[in-house]
Amino acid sequence: MVYFEDVDLGDEIGPLETEATDDGVVSFCTVWQSQMPNRFTDREIAEQSRLPGPIVPGIMSMGIMARLLTDWAGPAAVRDLDLVFRQPVPHHKPLRVSATVTDTRQEDGENLVECDILMTGAEGERYVGGKAIVALPSKS
Amino acid sequence: MVMELEYNRSLYGIEHEAGPFEISREQIKGFSTGLGETGRIYVDEVAAQDEGYRDVVAPPTFCTVLVNKVKLPDINLQFGRTSMHAGQRVQYRAPIVAGDSLTASSHLKDVYAKTGRSGTMVFVVWETTFRNQDGTVVADVQESFARRE
Repeated sequence: MVYFEDVDLGDEIGPLETEATDDGVVSFCTVWQSQMPNRFTDREIAEQSRLPGPIVPGIMSMGIMARLLTDWAGPAAVRDLDLVFRQPVPHHKPLRVSATVTDTRQEDGENLVECDILMTGAEGERYVGGKAIVALPSKS
Repeated sequence: MVMELEYNRSLYGIEHEAGPFEISREQIKGFSTGLGETGRIYVDEVAAQDEGYRDVVAPPTFCTVLVNKVKLPDINLQFGRTSMHAGQRVQYRAPIVAGDSLTASSHLKDVYAKTGRSGTMVFVVWETTFRNQDGTVVADVQESFARRE
């Protein structure tokens, strides 16, 4: 359990290292009720959209990035996640999600931690970046 | 120089409704396991009940899979051709629990241009508010789509 008092500016959260598999993307698209095949599951359709291959849906990348925060702060902690999709995220490639604390404050009775969050690739590709706010419990 | 953008401005202030969406245990568990979430309250109803919830709880970005159920009008933007998903924001305001019935209400939030080294891009931002059966706002989701020259 991480407490608000334990967190300081500049602290690193993570990393979470993972990858998105073909099967993982298909099961995500099934829950999403996204019509398949599509550019997320099919090479030919992806290439027609001038993509190098099937990509990970933006909202799936977002869910993976949220996991870094829920693993760290608990399942009910995330208040805000605001992301920019910078580059298509490929299947079957190492993905690294990490965050850096940029602010800590008390607001409306909650102890909030703000951070910059980033999903990168093995070659340093900056796939998805943005800001997150989580609420943490206090020791007092 | 501020670029004058041409699009259907009369869409501002209009809400586009969708739902209700009945949120099932299977949907929440499928979403959670698909993302590799380890929080017990996402996948185990007993663990969720031990924590004081009625049933399994949705992970923070769950509503993103419901946003595209809202039928949004074409804003007739006279700029560029291909549109890409540029960004997404989720503000999670209250727990979403299996058995909830959610409604969605979307409106056009903003249209703006940005010019960088690679040229000008125009961003179209839609905001969707999700409410549960009690009228409580559970999440606000913003989606932005970008068009290039």
